[in-house]
Formats: sequence, structure tokens, C-alpha cells
Amino acid sequence: MSNWLQGMPTAEAYEMNKVLFELHHRPDDLEAFRVNPDQYLNRFSLTDPVRRAILGNDVAALYLAGANPYLLRAHCIGMKIPEAVSVGALKRLAGEH
Amino acid sequence: MADIVSIMACSHTPVMLNFPDAVPQPEREEIFGHFHRLGQAIAAAKPQALVVVCDDHVHNFFLNNLPAFCIGAAPTYKSPVEHWLKADKRVLPGDAQLGAYLLNAVMASGFDPALSMELTLDHGVLTPLVLAHVSGQLPIVPILVNCVQPPLPSMKRCFDFGVALGDAIRAYPGLDRITILASGGLSHDLSTPRMGMVNDEFDREFLRCLEAGDSTEAIRFASQHVHEAGNGAEEVRMWLMAFGAARAAPFQTHFYRAVPSWYTGIGLGEWRR
Repeated sequence: MSNWLQGMPTAEAYEMNKVLFELHHRPDDLEAFRVNPDQYLNRFSLTDPVRRAILGNDVAALYLAGANPYLLRAHCIGMKIPEAVSVGALKRLAGEH
Repeated sequence: MADIVSIMACSHTPVMLNFPDAVPQPEREEIFGHFHRLGQAIAAAKPQALVVVCDDHVHNFFLNNLPAFCIGAAPTYKSPVEHWLKADKRVLPGDAQLGAYLLNAVMASGFDPALSMELTLDHGVLTPLVLAHVSGQLPIVPILVNCVQPPLPSMKRCFDFGVALGDAIRAYPGLDRITILASGGLSHDLSTPRMGMVNDEFDREFLRCLEAGDSTEAIRFASQHVHEAGNGAEEVRMWLMAFGAARAAPFQTHFYRAVPSWYTGIGLGEWRR
């Protein structure tokens, strides 16, 4: 048992975490993402599954791809994803394993 | 030479501010009452500065540059950094001189914290200050510990850093009275399939080690069992740092309860002098 899915983030996870970080820290990024999410994500080198996970607010997929827990949590609150949806998606993963 | 007039510790979570209603009113008021009393105890000891030991939740630091330890040396700190945190934006007074002194002093003791002259502090620092009603009342020195992204500094390293920090504060010629507040933990887990888990048994045993003044056992227990208590429990590093600053004096728990509705084991207390 470990608190950390990835002891060291993969390069793919780094780029995904960069999106989660920049969205909520750079002044105009959240607005740019809301206006045109596809265009915003073109700023980053994302794999297709990660891109789809971000666009679809797929919290379980973001977790499995190695999202830092604090960046993912802040993203869920910042994007106003309901608690039942975000926490529920994660808990369903526990049931699958 | 400064007197460390009090050393306190408390849990923090942004949901206390963002989703207070997740916990029924009587229980919420009881917990907030304990935070308020913590603030009253801080004020009663009449410190001239407050050293806040906390973690940065990937706001000031990202994976491109992530210090294990960082000491702030700025005259002011904006807070909160989270656009989503339900707390008014403010500027907290800082003690840049004390921050710079502590950096130099712990460096001389063999530790290597990063320097920051500009931090926008997050809920970890702000939530306890707000709930304790001491936000803006005292100049602060933030000391940030990486508990949020491995590789993490070891539990022992955090305790030892705390010992050096306490010695440095006691030798500070610039002020007479200083308080230390550790903010973090206890058990909780975020953004994993275990989210919502609170490990009451872990928390109570960790607190028991602190109450016994047993640093060896506290470090051993935290190191061996933190993975049973969730990624948020990595924040017990702040408690160990304060324990070190207290020279392993016995801890007095004022309050503890597992509060799953806030996803967190909520504890508050102080080290006996």
C-alpha cells in the first residue's frame, strides 16, 4: 500500500499536471479554457487519452494517469465538479480493484 | 534571545471554509470553537511574531522546481492563492528579518531550505489563521515543507529540522516572544479511491507518541504507517517539526475527532513548556 500511485511522475503525467497547474494559476487561462478548451489544450503536448480525460472531467482517468492529488483536488473544486461526481468516480475505482 | 512562548499544532482543510455545512452545525461550532480558543491562546502568550510551519499545496511550487523546505523572508504575503477558496483576499504581514535570520541559522546547522521573498500563501496557512481569528494580527514567517509530491523529506529529517529551528529561534536577538504554529494532517486522503478515509487509529497512536514526548517512536510510527493514513497524512511532517522545535516536550491534545464529512482527522493542541 502506498499513498502515491507514481513515486516519480512520468513525462506524460508531468505534462497533464502542468495543465492542471497553469489553468488555476495563470490569470487568463481558465477563461481561455472555458471559451475554447480544444484550442487551449493545444498549448500542451498531451496524449489523446489525457486530452480526453481533461476535456471530459474524467476524474478517475486523471487519477490513473498520475495526476498529483492536490492539483486534481484543486481542479475539481475550481471547475465546480460536484463532490458526488468527483469523489464517486474515484471510489468506483476502488470497487473495480 | 527570544522566548518561544507557545508551540501549537492543528489540522487544516479547505473544506472547512468551502463546505462548512458538510458537518452538522453543533459539531462544526464545537470544532470552530477549538480553533478560536487556539487563537485566544496564541494571543494570550503575546508573541511578536508567528512562525507558521505548513506545506504548499502545489501553488507556489510546481514539479519544475519543488523544494523540500522553504523559508519565507518577505515583509508581506498575499493570500489565498486559490481562486476557489472561500476566503477574502488579503495581505498578511510578514517578518522578513526573522525569516532571513532563520534561513541563515538553519543553514549554519546543516539544513538547506530554499529562500523565497515572495509567496502567495494557500489554505494551509490561511485556514487556521482565519478560524483562530488571528489572520493579520501578527507578522508571520512561513516555513514550507514538501508533503505533497514525492520524493518527500523523511519524517526524521523534519523532526531534526524542527530541533534546529527551535534552537535558532531561541537564539534570535531581534525579538523577545515568538510562537510556532504547525498546520497540517492528520489522517486524510485526497483524489484517490481512498478519498474520504480517515484513520482514527493512526491519528490516536501518533498523538499518543507526541503526548508521551517520545520522538523516536513518533518518527518510527509515522514513517512506517503513514501509507495507511492517506496522502494527506504526509502532513504530519509539520507536527514532527514542531515537536522537534519543542525539544520533544510532551504534547497536550486539546481536541481530536475523525471527521469523515470533511475528509480529515481534525486535531488541535500544544506542546507543554
